[in-house]
Amino acid sequence: MNGKITELYTDEDLDALQRKIRRLNVFHILLAAGALALCLVLIALTGTANASRMEILVIAVSTLAGWVVLYGQLLTALPCRRELRHARMLRSEEREKVCGVVSVTEERVVIRGSITARRVEIRAGDEVRRALVCESRAGALAGLGEAVLYTAHNYAAAYEVAE
Amino acid sequence: MIKKIFSQLHTFVLWALVSALFWSWIFTFVTDTSPDKKVTVYCLTPEIQDTQMAAALEETMPEGLRMIQVHSFDYVMFGVDAFYQGDIFILPASEIENYQELLLPPEDGQNVRIYDAAGGTGAAQTYIAYADEDYYLFLGTGSEHLEDGKALAVARAILNLD
Repeated sequence: MNGKITELYTDEDLDALQRKIRRLNVFHILLAAGALALCLVLIALTGTANASRMEILVIAVSTLAGWVVLYGQLLTALPCRRELRHARMLRSEEREKVCGVVSVTEERVVIRGSITARRVEIRAGDEVRRALVCESRAGALAGLGEAVLYTAHNYAAAYEVAE
Repeated sequence: MIKKIFSQLHTFVLWALVSALFWSWIFTFVTDTSPDKKVTVYCLTPEIQDTQMAAALEETMPEGLRMIQVHSFDYVMFGVDAFYQGDIFILPASEIENYQELLLPPEDGQNVRIYDAAGGTGAAQTYIAYADEDYYLFLGTGSEHLEDGKALAVARAILNLD
């Protein structure tokens, strides 16, 4: 098949992921430092009369800021870091070429400690090959039809459609 | 989003516990100091507004002190050592005998009555709810502020409280 090979992760995508991770890290560090500074200011303002109120306030500030950082790191930055590692693997590893009608199924594959993927089926006559695609890139393969799928370690890395 | 949060609920709960324990521990240092930098008042009264009374006494605190603490006798459950080092004790006449070894009359060996039950008059009634008997104020025999006069100064300030 002579067509244009489309990478699921371009260099720009990798840069964008890296920038997003950096932005999140900076935001979380600033938030944590700000919360710590606020707690220290509140402690400095603590006197006998307001001690119990200040203690509750400091615990509330610390807990809420911690929750925001945890949410951002565990549920936003960490999946991005995993996706970036996955994307780098796709770009660097040797690829296998699979031809057929490509379709993305509804089946989600959650790999603990790694990315969440969707199942991809490539039909060539009676033969059905199965692969995985990172969930964030599943849209690119949906409704692709007849194509050549390039996989690395059975993960979709790129595709080629006839022009 | 809710589902994502629930998947990490244990981490969020753990952080809340760690945060509460850590800052409570820090506040034990913020709200306390060594006996030589504080005067501690123990009151054996039915009710006491300890924080407000301590804050009022700190307004006229002798120089060199960092804080004044006011506790009810219930506070002894957290440690008896600090109780024996108490600087000032306020207790009813009926209890004096039980704590005799801790009590020192403030001036000239005379007991100082802080509340007169018959007349219903006394000091610091804004902060202390007295029972229906006479109450007396003593310095503590284990006080670190007998010689420097700071315990006596705070005792006088208590007697001047409304």
